[in-house]
Amino acid sequence: MELNYKKIQPLILSGKNNLSRGIGYVGLFVGILILLVALQTFVNIRALLQENNPRKQGYDYISVSRTITNENMGRDNSFSAKDLQLLRAAPGVQEISPLYSNKFRAEASAGSVMPFSTDLFLESIDNSFIDSVPPAFSWQPGQTDVPLIFSSDFLEIYNVFAPAQGLPQVSAKTISSINIMLTCSGPLGTQHYRAGIVAFSDRINSILVPRSFLNWNNLHLDGDTLTRIERVYIRTKDANNPQLISYLDRGNYHLNKDKVKFSRIKGILQNIVAALGIFGVLVIALALMLFSFYVRLMIARSRDNLRLLLVLGYSPAWLAKSVARTWLPVYGIIIVLALLGTQFLHLLFRNLPFVNQGEIPWVVHWSVAVTALVLLLITTLLNAALVRKELQRLV
Amino acid sequence: MQIDLQNIIPQYIDSNHIDRSEVWNRTVVISPGEHLHIVAPSGTGKTSLISFIYGLRTDYSGEIRYDGQNVKTLSTERFSSLRRTDISIIFQDLQLFPDETARQNVEIKRMLKPYHPPEKIDDMARRLGISGKLDQPVKTCSYGEQQRIAIIRSLMQPFHYLLLDEPYSHLDEANRANAMQLLYEECEQRGAAMIFADLKPLELLKGERVLML
Repeated sequence: MELNYKKIQPLILSGKNNLSRGIGYVGLFVGILILLVALQTFVNIRALLQENNPRKQGYDYISVSRTITNENMGRDNSFSAKDLQLLRAAPGVQEISPLYSNKFRAEASAGSVMPFSTDLFLESIDNSFIDSVPPAFSWQPGQTDVPLIFSSDFLEIYNVFAPAQGLPQVSAKTISSINIMLTCSGPLGTQHYRAGIVAFSDRINSILVPRSFLNWNNLHLDGDTLTRIERVYIRTKDANNPQLISYLDRGNYHLNKDKVKFSRIKGILQNIVAALGIFGVLVIALALMLFSFYVRLMIARSRDNLRLLLVLGYSPAWLAKSVARTWLPVYGIIIVLALLGTQFLHLLFRNLPFVNQGEIPWVVHWSVAVTALVLLLITTLLNAALVRKELQRLV
Repeated sequence: MQIDLQNIIPQYIDSNHIDRSEVWNRTVVISPGEHLHIVAPSGTGKTSLISFIYGLRTDYSGEIRYDGQNVKTLSTERFSSLRRTDISIIFQDLQLFPDETARQNVEIKRMLKPYHPPEKIDDMARRLGISGKLDQPVKTCSYGEQQRIAIIRSLMQPFHYLLLDEPYSHLDEANRANAMQLLYEECEQRGAAMIFADLKPLELLKGERVLML
């Protein structure tokens, strides 16, 4: 016959300490809610601030150039070989890639399609640093078609000033279909090409051409492939690395601050959320401590009855398990309520104006549910261990 | 199961008393089915001896063995198990739950390892003259009635040994005879031994071995 704990429960849980018990329950609920909300917020921030960059591969890319001041204006502010070597060895730097630029003159026009012509700067960089490199981005000597990778920022700037100049605004798709007449000229000659935009870059704010095109035209139009390096891209695991930023600041380098600021903001937000999570853990710890006092008090009050039960032959292990189990439904309810609270707050967050709902699922992240279950397990086990320990003292 | 006492000496006992005792510092084997009557004046260690055998206290030298195993080496879980199925007891101070009814007190023990059905409680209560007290809180019963409740409680489980520490101190002759008869019957049914400690020898004994403490 299965022992019925309910028949002896009144002998043990006879305390009327409902207030401290209630406070403990509320404290536990608040702590768990804070922790789960912090975790879900962390996940949401990561989802919202994630760059949709398929070639990011876990790295950040920072553009670095010399800061031009009144003092160094007019002087050679390019990167020497030693500068590049030192930069490569800087803290947090995985790899660097200089931007090489055209020494020849490059003019671009859209022919009869658009009454637009301009001089261009053309640059090239290591392909591994470019976020989107289609197969068409290559050039062989003799080829008259030249692929370009165009900065998304430049297209945006054009569309802003175009109407004021009587020029049409263009979409990325349209501008990619336009044949651009590219005239490259230098002391040694002139070349005519037909250029086309094959990709847009969110990362490199430049007009990129294949290295082979730049080198050939620099050599055959200007007589020299060597160019001054005015800008370098750094690949780093963490654009927010304080040592890296400090190194670059000391070197009087100019950074693409948006990128770094963006990473900094993300880092700050995530730190705030992490701190919130730690606060939640502290509240949980305090609530559990309060519970442990309550358990000790309850067992102390029922000491005589418990001792007699043990003397009569009740198993200490069974008693400990039965006593601990009385709290299991309460803990379960608290955890479920905290999960529901988190889900509710998550839905509220999702409906905020600046949130793109497509980026965040409506249900809480699986790690939040797992954390809730783990917390339930921990509180139950801790409780059982405490009860067992207190009962052992009576034996 | 067999209980052996090997040179038991309580830590507090006067050494003069040890020499005169037939239990302390002796080898005493209590065989299954035996009736052992321990006679001792007040303060000589009757309750201590019962407590040592039941495993409640360990402040003694020597060994008490259950089937050859020293009880001091038994775990608390093992003791719990033995108290459910092998050893029952009637305490001198009864050790009932005062706020629970007589029936509840008995049931709390019975449900651990039922030997009799719940109806047997009523039968025994009728036999001992306390039927009307079964549903009363124990604290409202007289000491004699409480002793009879403690007796019924001790008989609700299986056992090989029944320990009794002055179980009849507040019973009159008639009730004492009834109680003893009930105890003998229950022990015989189980083939159990009885270790009975009291101030003086009882007239109602049936083939007991009597040892002076």
